[in-house]
Amino acid sequence: MSALRDDRASAAVTTVILLPILLVVLAGVLQLGALRVAGARVRAAADLATLVAVNDQDDAELARTGALRLAGDAADVAREYFARELELSAPLLAASPSEIAAAADIAAYPSAPAVDARTGARYDRPAVRLAADVPLRTPVFGALAFREVTTIGVLAVSSPR
Amino acid sequence: MTFVIAMLVPLLFSILEFGSALERWLAQDAATVQAARYAGEIGGDGAEVRSLIANQLRSSGIDPATVSVEIVPARVGWREPVRVSVASEYRVAIPFLFTTTVPLRSAAISRGEVNR
Repeated sequence: MSALRDDRASAAVTTVILLPILLVVLAGVLQLGALRVAGARVRAAADLATLVAVNDQDDAELARTGALRLAGDAADVAREYFARELELSAPLLAASPSEIAAAADIAAYPSAPAVDARTGARYDRPAVRLAADVPLRTPVFGALAFREVTTIGVLAVSSPR
Repeated sequence: MTFVIAMLVPLLFSILEFGSALERWLAQDAATVQAARYAGEIGGDGAEVRSLIANQLRSSGIDPATVSVEIVPARVGWREPVRVSVASEYRVAIPFLFTTTVPLRSAAISRGEVNR
């Protein structure tokens, strides 16, 4: 009976000692989950921005030759919509959406075939490629002696069909 | 033993409950992005867009009846932005600690493709 009581007391003490560590682990897990959601949002923002940019065709070229060719402002449209999409997740970002979009490396390849100077990828159709480093707030990581800002890289490529 | 359970059970449920909330948020975000693309394609709000959202949410285990959807503007012209917002609440219950509802908001912007 005494041994059982000792075991119970020992379990309670162990729990009290381990509780701070478990709370830290819990906070880290939750922050990791939030980072996962933020990362998915940023990737979706980049995807949507490039999709919107390639949906607009050069109508004159299409009427003249029947070939798909991107509109002349495709890269600007991708940048504008990337900023708009990021604006919707502004509280998660560690920089302003317009700054992130302005710093993004966006390239339009109006006609195919083309080779991406950054990735080396070959595009058999017109394409818009967006590459950006997006800084995300991770305050819990900061409190746990890691970085307060976690930067994730996104790469999105879209082509018209 | 009661003390140990009172400490560890809330921790375990916190991980499970918030993990579930984040999973639901991801699913809701994905449905919203798809809906924005479709809204741009058909030129704004429509039964097809709302049906798409409902089907996407249902396939992720979310009851569409508990979700509010807003598509602005309802009728979008060529090259004009259209915004789809989806909002819901997720009930988080942590034994011995608290029960609360977490608002989950998703939004995405696309561009009108219908030349009216």
